[in-house]
Amino acid sequence: MTAEPIVVTVAKDLEDLIPTFMKNRTTEVETLRAALAAGDLEQMRQLGHRMKGVGNSYGFEKVSTLGRQIEDGANAGDRAGLEARIAEYTDYLARVQIVYE
Amino acid sequence: MSDPGSGRVAQAAFRVLVVDDDPDMAGFLARLLVQQGMQADTAADGHAALEMIAAAPPDLVLLDVQMPGPSGFDICRQLKGREATALLPVVLITALEDQESRVRGIEAGADDFLSKPVRREELLARVKTLRRLHETRKELEGRRLAAEVQAREAIRRAFSRYLSPRLAERVLRESPDGEAIFRNLSERAAVVTLFADLRGFTRLSETVPVSMIVPMLNEYFTVLTAAVHDNEGTVFSMAGDSLLVGFNVPVPQDDAMTRAVTTAQAMIERFAPVAARWKAEHRLATGIGVGIEAGEVVVGNVGAPSFMSYTIIGDAVNVAARLMQQAAANEILIGPSAALSLHAMLGRSTPLERREIALKGKAEPVQVVALRVGTA
Repeated sequence: MTAEPIVVTVAKDLEDLIPTFMKNRTTEVETLRAALAAGDLEQMRQLGHRMKGVGNSYGFEKVSTLGRQIEDGANAGDRAGLEARIAEYTDYLARVQIVYE
Repeated sequence: MSDPGSGRVAQAAFRVLVVDDDPDMAGFLARLLVQQGMQADTAADGHAALEMIAAAPPDLVLLDVQMPGPSGFDICRQLKGREATALLPVVLITALEDQESRVRGIEAGADDFLSKPVRREELLARVKTLRRLHETRKELEGRRLAAEVQAREAIRRAFSRYLSPRLAERVLRESPDGEAIFRNLSERAAVVTLFADLRGFTRLSETVPVSMIVPMLNEYFTVLTAAVHDNEGTVFSMAGDSLLVGFNVPVPQDDAMTRAVTTAQAMIERFAPVAARWKAEHRLATGIGVGIEAGEVVVGNVGAPSFMSYTIIGDAVNVAARLMQQAAANEILIGPSAALSLHAMLGRSTPLERREIALKGKAEPVQVVALRVGTA
């Protein structure tokens, strides 16, 4: 994977909320990884559902998309797919760059 | 506004409670609301939300559906099921494609829905609509309450013309529309009746200039009515210089007899200084004569549809009237039925002057008790 940045535009008035938001996303990836290792698909479904709701609200469309895929994957028991989504989420968080408007 | 934050709190802003277990979501929603001049508090679960609502009810609740513990549906149902919060608007936040949640939300009584991910314009539009609705509701409720208070006040004022203010309050308390107590157009009731009139009135009306009679009568009735109201009696009629008062009506008074005698004594004592002044000004001797009798009478609204009077009719009323006519100035004549409870009331040691009096309409003379009230 390349380290090309992914630019996300966030409303200026949410700027001070973003550091906590990003920190929670990093924790989320770790929790997802641990849940998958433990085979806790219900927790993954819940986390996916939450990502789906919160991501796009802040302007992070990709977080919502990944959330929906994780929720679906957990429902379907698609472990390989879930693993791929977690990797994708990790990569996304490493590359994301925020612009405030 | 240079300092929007402090300004908003000072003017009792529209208060929204955001309930979401995801702190990012709760923080996001709160931020958007605060930017619109509202006050936003957040709760991370249903238990905390219910506690906060009970402690200080907000004007609107934004409620996530999926939460650990009680779900948004459970909380919504609880809020809508309680009288205190039934009108509190609730917006359920559901996933966009989740039609089933919407149906369940409607069943739980939700006022509106918001989709996740939340679009800022949608949130603000829905909150704005509900805020307007809420404020209209509040205003209507305020108007309804004001009208109720006004109606009550009108009833109280109307009653106060006939009943003592304290008694009017009691009637209203026991019968909020003021109707029930007077609904029985006629009923039999045990009543203590008191008749009072002014000794020397005939002479007064002959010697005092006409222009002065009405003010003097008003002064006299003011003194007597105050004595009646202090003892929670009900004035049934004023005619010429006589006043008919009832006790134990329209609401029961266990101590009706005591109230009647105390009223009679107060009338005589309070009128004494007025009589002294009239004597000095007009050289006229006046005083008050009182007759009291107890018994079953008919109480009701008597008259024609266009003019009614709340009155009492019965032998006890007639006897009290005749006793009043025979009472000397500053004397209270108590009829045989009323006299039965006098000893219990005044104590055996109080000497009672018993007298036999022939009353018009009665074949036999009746045994009465006379009480003299010192006015020196």
